[in-house]
Amino acid sequence: MAVKVAFMQCSDCWGCHQSLLNAHLGLLPVLPALDIVYWPAVVDFKHDSLKARPDGDILVGFVEGSLRTNEDVENAKLMRAKCQLIISFGSCSCYGNVHGLANQWDIQKVINRKFVETESITNESPHEPKEHMPGFTEKIMPLDEVIKVDAYIAGCPPKPEAIISSVVFLLGQKPQPMNDLAFCNECPLNTEGCLLDKGVMCFGPITSSGCTLKCTSNGDPCVGCFGPSKTVASRAEKLNGMVKNLSTISTGNKKNLFEFLTLFLNVPLMAGFDLAGDVLKQIKKRGAPESPLANLPPTTEDIASSIMAYLRDNRDFTEISNVCDTCPRIIGSKSRMTKVKRDYEGLPNMDDCLIEQGYICMGPVTKAGCGGLCLRVNAPCSGCYGQTEWVADQASRFADVVIKGFNVDVSKEELLSQVKDHLGTFQKFTLASNRSYKGGE
Amino acid sequence: MVKEIVVEPVTRLEGHGGLRIVLGDDGKVKDAQFNITSTRFFEKFCEGRYAEHVPRITPRICGICPIPHHLTPTKAVEDAWGVEIPEPARKLRILLQNAKQYSSHVLHFYALAAPDFLLGPFADPALRNVVHVINKMPDVGAMALKMMDFGQKLCAEIGGKSVHPISAIVGGMKKPMDEDARDKFLKQVGEQIEFTKKTVEIGLKVVEDYWDVVANVAVVPTYYLGMTKNGVHDIYEGDIRIVTPNGEKKDFDIHKYLDVLGEHIPEHSYATHMYYKPAGYPDGIYRANCLAMINAADKMATPLADEALKAFRDKTGPISHHTFAYHWARLIETVEAIEIIATLLKDPDVVNPDCKTLDVEPREGNGVGVTEAPRGLLLYNIWSDAAGICKKLNLLVATNHNIAGIEKTLMHTAKQVFEDKALDGLKLPDPWIK
Ligand code: SF4
Ligand code: SF4
Repeated sequence: MAVKVAFMQCSDCWGCHQSLLNAHLGLLPVLPALDIVYWPAVVDFKHDSLKARPDGDILVGFVEGSLRTNEDVENAKLMRAKCQLIISFGSCSCYGNVHGLANQWDIQKVINRKFVETESITNESPHEPKEHMPGFTEKIMPLDEVIKVDAYIAGCPPKPEAIISSVVFLLGQKPQPMNDLAFCNECPLNTEGCLLDKGVMCFGPITSSGCTLKCTSNGDPCVGCFGPSKTVASRAEKLNGMVKNLSTISTGNKKNLFEFLTLFLNVPLMAGFDLAGDVLKQIKKRGAPESPLANLPPTTEDIASSIMAYLRDNRDFTEISNVCDTCPRIIGSKSRMTKVKRDYEGLPNMDDCLIEQGYICMGPVTKAGCGGLCLRVNAPCSGCYGQTEWVADQASRFADVVIKGFNVDVSKEELLSQVKDHLGTFQKFTLASNRSYKGGE
Repeated sequence: MVKEIVVEPVTRLEGHGGLRIVLGDDGKVKDAQFNITSTRFFEKFCEGRYAEHVPRITPRICGICPIPHHLTPTKAVEDAWGVEIPEPARKLRILLQNAKQYSSHVLHFYALAAPDFLLGPFADPALRNVVHVINKMPDVGAMALKMMDFGQKLCAEIGGKSVHPISAIVGGMKKPMDEDARDKFLKQVGEQIEFTKKTVEIGLKVVEDYWDVVANVAVVPTYYLGMTKNGVHDIYEGDIRIVTPNGEKKDFDIHKYLDVLGEHIPEHSYATHMYYKPAGYPDGIYRANCLAMINAADKMATPLADEALKAFRDKTGPISHHTFAYHWARLIETVEAIEIIATLLKDPDVVNPDCKTLDVEPREGNGVGVTEAPRGLLLYNIWSDAAGICKKLNLLVATNHNIAGIEKTLMHTAKQVFEDKALDGLKLPDPWIK
């Protein structure tokens, strides 16, 4: 049966929607599973039709945008009442986004700049429009400042794949198996040198055969990009043993696990998809995989679900990874930061870490999820997926992290004093969700 | 009794708004309002930012046209600091701007506008959307998706991200296109030209079917705001061109915008009302976007598009006030966009690494940048201090240019509908999708 979903937009740019539409053909298989009951950007349902629904009538509600007007606040509350699960969709909703920088000033000053002082205004006594207008909130707020949120999909915008897989995941759907046999059967290391024997987490036993890349022939583990097989290979038990002990997992295996989650399960934990609180119960209620590994030999689903169960209960696990982990550049390169450069200065090379080339890149303190998009076109990360750790002083944390882990020849004080715009550099996307920030420059 | 008709929210709109029409006891239309209920104050919180960071912030003004909101402020800072960019960077930007124009126009035609025409204006609202179009006309749907996909992927390739690009920098572009990627797009561009031609056919058929509506409903004489370069249609650079209601064309240097474009703050909308200053408010209310661009252009920049323009003029005359002709005008621009894309993909400059000048120094100054975004003219005026910090920003945003014009059209159409009962005798075709 199709599941009822609703999309609400608060103050934002429509980009999350565009990103969703960018999934284009990828959307088609998902659509039949959805009964879209409210989506003003695309579908002609009016506001009253949403109001008229019984409370809790809708299963999943996506709320996009930050809260800037009183109407936004009302709409957020309305969605909370009508939906069982609320998803904070995109960095505006999760963190307030760039417009949170307006929280530096008293709202009246902000309003005056636009409606009174603008150079091109020609009214004799210009003022804020009031007729049929909702009025502005004192501050830009992220969604969870006003209502309880069950899950967050960060990103400005979130990647289309992440959106689709979040939907698929929330609806309790599973990836479809491909070929009968598992990859182990055609792995060059099958008879000798199996990676699992060496303690490397390789997902060959549960991944479909038929791939031509064969990562194991280069000594790399299979991370399952070919999707599940119909039957599992006997080594699944060994893999299962490792998966049961995730709390002692090595760093290398963590990386394999993340790739597996993204590529095989299509679970966008790498993409800034966080679950909060009771959402777990809700998913269980709809019969999504439970954790205990009852069957032996384990099925693909057993392995997958035990990983999922672990991750749900250990959210920190997802936060170990930052944008640098997905960046193609070299840290510990031949370059060294000797002074902080502005973005317009020179032109960085494509190989070395941007920080080591002197630029301020937010990669080391930003949650992974985008796959390092900006770095790939030679632009530093500006932090749109949100920070890995929520501390009051982001500037100081950044400086500490960078001085510890990168080729940097400036002191913390020098680094911080050479950056002229701290708020716009270190908290461009997240100022509104920094609870210890009280305004001012 | 006074009756108020409220449409809330206006759907398939990028932004937040409602329509409000007030009817008096006499059945006369007393008021028609287009209420835009949200704004986020970019002009304020860009103050204090590094000027070169402004283009990394402002794309968030609009997720549908983030590319003009990335390129235009970059141009404004370059203007303020007196920076000349290398030719390969300019070509990359034009390619990027046209890739966006292409995908956005296709999205607009198929996802926002076509449901009304293909299903007919009286279809069940629950079905009058692009999803239903895709289900019922899978071939057309698949073609539309492939077109949007091509445009968005090309944006992502050059811009780094299709939504909220990052590759332009004061002084040029951070990186040229990779040759492999260029080859991939070059292979697909022929098919895209065919798709565009098919889309134009569908569009022309719709125009023909609905000619009675196009020619009789919402025909509203206004001024028009566009951009041309030596009179030729251009979406990346040029002069501001105003077209008067009787078709007279006037060009203005972008730095003189304050003499030409006035902004009136209405009581009932956060989006301000723009008008042609010399004509005063509300007489000088203009419309922008594709119809305005088509009215402004002496000719299109590419051959197929120019032919399409001639066909349009043959039907509508030298100036078109037909609101429903926006859809047609948009298709002419789509043709031009794909032709420019095809030409530039063959130009070796788009893979030329000489795409950023090292000669960039902040200086105190006030710079203006203008492009034509898919929804209308976009103007950034940035005041930089000697250290290159943005001190002040004035923004005239594409959609804003249309708000007053939309309201004027709404008033006109409401009178036609409620007072003259103009819809009653109107010939409507059988819907394509029933
Ligand atoms: S700091 Fe930036 S450039 Fe350096 S490795 Fe991290 S993400 Fe890549
Ligand atoms: S690199 Fe940073 S700014 Fe760029 S998309 Fe990724 S998280 Fe966002």
